[in-house]
Amino acid sequence: MSTPAQEQVFGRAPSGPTAARAEGLTKAYGSGETQVLALDSVDAEIARGRFTAIMGPSGSGKSTLMHCLAGLDNVTRGQVWIGEHEITSLNERELTRLRRDKVGFVFQSFNLLPTLTAGENITLPMDIAGRKPDQEWVDTVIDTLGLRDRLRHRPAQLSGGQQQRVACARALASRPELIFADEPTGNLDSRSGEEVLAFLRRAVDELHQTVVMVTHDPGAAARADLVLFLADGRIVDEMPNPTAEAVLDRMKRFDRIRET
Amino acid sequence: MLKATLRSFFAHKGRMALSALAVLLSVAFVAGTLIFSDTLSRTFDHLFSSTSADVTVGPRREFDANDERYSGTVATLPASLAARAAKVDGVAAAHVDVAVGNTTVVDRRNRPVGPTTGAPTLALNWYRSDRSPVEITSGRAPGGPGETVIDADTAHRRHVRIGDTLRVVAAPGTFPAKVVGIATFTTTNPGAALLFFDTPTAQARLLGRTGAATAISVDAAPGVGNTRLKQRLAADLGPGYEIRTQGEQAKTAAEQLGSFLDVLKYALLGFAGIAVLVGVFLILNTFSMLVAQRTRELGLLRAVGASRRQVNRSVLVEALLLGLVGSTLGLAAGFGLALLLMRLIGKAGVSLKASELVFNWPTPVAAYTVGVLVTMVSAYLPARRAGRTTPMAALAEAGVPPSKSLRLRTAVGAVVTAAGAAALAAAATGGRAGDAALMLGAGVVLTLIGMVVLGPLLARPVVRTVGGAFPAVFGAVGRISQRNALRNPRRTGATAAALMIGLALVGGLTVVGTSMAGSIDQEIDQTLGADYTVQNGVGRPFPPQVTERVRSTPGVGTVIRERVVPARIEAGGHSEKVLVIAADPELDQGLRPKYRAGSTARGLAPGRIVVNGEYADKRGLGIGDSVSVRFSRTRSQKLTIGAITPSQKNQAVGNGTNPVIGMDTLERNVPGVLDAVVMADAAPGTDKAHVRTALEKALASFPQVQVRDQADYKDLVRGQINVLLGLVYGLLGLAIVIAVLGVVNTLALSVIERTREIGLLRAIGLSRRQLRRMIRLESVVIAVFGALLGLALGLGWGVAAQRILALKGMKVLEIPWPTILTVMVGSVVIGLVAALLPALRASRMNVLAAIAHE
Repeated sequence: MSTPAQEQVFGRAPSGPTAARAEGLTKAYGSGETQVLALDSVDAEIARGRFTAIMGPSGSGKSTLMHCLAGLDNVTRGQVWIGEHEITSLNERELTRLRRDKVGFVFQSFNLLPTLTAGENITLPMDIAGRKPDQEWVDTVIDTLGLRDRLRHRPAQLSGGQQQRVACARALASRPELIFADEPTGNLDSRSGEEVLAFLRRAVDELHQTVVMVTHDPGAAARADLVLFLADGRIVDEMPNPTAEAVLDRMKRFDRIRET
Repeated sequence: MLKATLRSFFAHKGRMALSALAVLLSVAFVAGTLIFSDTLSRTFDHLFSSTSADVTVGPRREFDANDERYSGTVATLPASLAARAAKVDGVAAAHVDVAVGNTTVVDRRNRPVGPTTGAPTLALNWYRSDRSPVEITSGRAPGGPGETVIDADTAHRRHVRIGDTLRVVAAPGTFPAKVVGIATFTTTNPGAALLFFDTPTAQARLLGRTGAATAISVDAAPGVGNTRLKQRLAADLGPGYEIRTQGEQAKTAAEQLGSFLDVLKYALLGFAGIAVLVGVFLILNTFSMLVAQRTRELGLLRAVGASRRQVNRSVLVEALLLGLVGSTLGLAAGFGLALLLMRLIGKAGVSLKASELVFNWPTPVAAYTVGVLVTMVSAYLPARRAGRTTPMAALAEAGVPPSKSLRLRTAVGAVVTAAGAAALAAAATGGRAGDAALMLGAGVVLTLIGMVVLGPLLARPVVRTVGGAFPAVFGAVGRISQRNALRNPRRTGATAAALMIGLALVGGLTVVGTSMAGSIDQEIDQTLGADYTVQNGVGRPFPPQVTERVRSTPGVGTVIRERVVPARIEAGGHSEKVLVIAADPELDQGLRPKYRAGSTARGLAPGRIVVNGEYADKRGLGIGDSVSVRFSRTRSQKLTIGAITPSQKNQAVGNGTNPVIGMDTLERNVPGVLDAVVMADAAPGTDKAHVRTALEKALASFPQVQVRDQADYKDLVRGQINVLLGLVYGLLGLAIVIAVLGVVNTLALSVIERTREIGLLRAIGLSRRQLRRMIRLESVVIAVFGALLGLALGLGWGVAAQRILALKGMKVLEIPWPTILTVMVGSVVIGLVAALLPALRASRMNVLAAIAHE
């Protein structure tokens, strides 16, 4: 599990192989009597060059954790680092730039702009930044994903699986610090889902990227290097080198706890 | 079902707001115009009937009193008639009236005291009467020669105080008058300036005839009806007088004003109509988008058993609600607009009181009819589309517009546009102005419809071209904007069409206006031979002293006078009313008239007349034939045609199609007509600028006339056309405002539709500023597209209209490039302004909420 918060010197950029880190991360909704804690002093570390899955029952806070780690949502207390940058003190404009330059996103659905071709969608973050993409890298990504002959297609002309692959390619194209995938296979049939997972795996293994994936599918989680289990806003367990059965068993224990 | 409809209406009230605003603006314009014109005519009716005497005895005229403003002559009757009238049974009192409108009053520094807007300065004799529109509120009544009382409004406006001495420039001569009293209007001030003198002064100085009067006002004794009194007076005084009861007098006055008010009313309603037309596009677009967004919801309704008709009707009921709300608010805003209009004409001197606002029943009827009908008609197509929603739609992806083929639209649009273009071409090449105008009208309507239909088709190529540089200049943001504008060509087309209508009218009218100005410039160069013209700003004649001053100015050579009198010209049993112009024999040096036959010398010789070719052809007349010209009831003369001007030469400079006679001929028939124009040349060997300065100095005490050289004359014409165009632009501004609302509406709804996309873009790193720029660029593209369509259409209209004008002699075609450039730049500004709120709204969206948006 993560380093205890009290051992850290606040404000100092942590070194070492972490792509992202959270310390005492708390996210509360509402205030006073009716306050609900979506995240309750979470400490987490995302290792660089690894594939981390976040699992947990619905309402456990796994999506919130991802949103906070990615700078999409503001936090109530605690600190978050992406690479060497502490992000909770950043303003809106700096956060936007951080997302653009350091983070890649793959959402469950509606990942692409319908008016742009697949190729344009892939280079969109760099185009927005006004940077020239690293063409060699982009070509590698496109070829790895087998999208070469789909570049001129509009999203509407692509299957759901192809669309998610394009989304993965876009997330990778700017070579971000890390990639967040929010239920990337949630809307896909099993074969397409498998393709996307295989690609995320290859992105880590072959392209040395860092991926964080939120999922509720044990099969998908099993493709990760490490699974973090969340329940009631806290990280309650972690499982290195998971298998689908082991993850499923672990998840069933949550259900049992709930029943009792 | 009704409950579902109501719920839906209120759920979308934000989105309805802009449509309601469009209805509101259109209705407000209609209602405001009606309230304003009703108020104006009621006020004047009241003014006329309260200030008319029970019975008025006036001189019998061949032409109505209005014609006197051309000649400056005043018809009179003997003042002794009052004494005779007073003896008639049933007459309580008879007053001598002296009222003239041909004077100019200036202060010590020669600045005009009366209105310069065209409203008259009335000089009257003072006597105490219940009918008087004023009462003396300070000082005293005028009691002798050289004393006057001025109305309070004018005194206030021109800072005239009791004790000031004014100079009154009247037809018989100029005389000084000391202000001894101020009179305040007890009725509505119709905008005129009033000056009162005692009766002998008025007779001597204003009419130049002691013992004369312009009318006799008769008060009836108690119990005597006006009509009976009129009969008695007629019997006693004999023929030769026009005797009118109070009712008749007021009615005549109201009729004269009424025709002017009608023109004003219909012009304003015309602009209201354009605003309504533009509003239609906005409402149509709103409902189309609402229906498209609610496809799933409507599909669900159909799936649970709602019939097509029910779905259809639910949309129409929403439209009805919108129409009712918009009309009600519009009616209220109409009052505001009427007040504003009243304030505006208050600036021109007419002081109306807000408490006198007239609200007649046709006003709300018209307001609700316009508002509700327009909304229902606009919503009809979207409602029908809603009715066609299949239950399957409930399962389909939301917000996907039906990609219906544009083939039928292409065909219809192409045919209508082609027909319109053909009509315009026919108008431009047609021979006769009357038919051509009809073709022009048809062409304008057809091309407008055609372009509206074709708008969505043209959106693709035009937006591609206009936004072509966007990706290069603005990068990814530019590319997305350009593509977004093309996403729904129908919507882009309809949004741009709204803007197109207003701008097409601006374009067309500007082409016509500048072409007219250009033609008149040319005509001035070709026609106006005189170095200087001396004229009154609103065409009123001026006293003979002005001409004398011009003649006696050193350096002035030839002086040519022109006068204008109303007359009837009779030939072959047909009689028509015309304005006859009388000119000095040296006319050739002043105006270089052209003749089909004859010459100036032959046309202006005693007993001769110049007529227009069109008139001569119509009546089958030629040189040497004679016509009978009736100058007044008592004076008619046979004149021989000595020259004929070319037919259909509708000049703006010179004597136009009016018959022209020699000055001698006029003097013999109607003496005492005032000069309307004096043309003068600098004597050979003198410095023209020098002479001009001398002329201006000589005429300094006559501020009612201006000295102009040829360049001034051109400026004057340009200025008049620009004022007219400015007025039209101002009124078209309303249509453009509604069109801008349409752009705002479209963008706002697009932003809502694309919430998830915006969320995604923000998540992957689009900054707020970039997002705002993206929406602004899309807006600019739509606005520029509308401006391009509008200007193209307007130029086509303008050129066709100019060809018709060319038939009437306006041969110059001038394309107003500065205006076109201004409109293009303006459309970019419009785009930027329209995008303000939608862009702000989009940039404030919460990223996570936007991504999760359904």
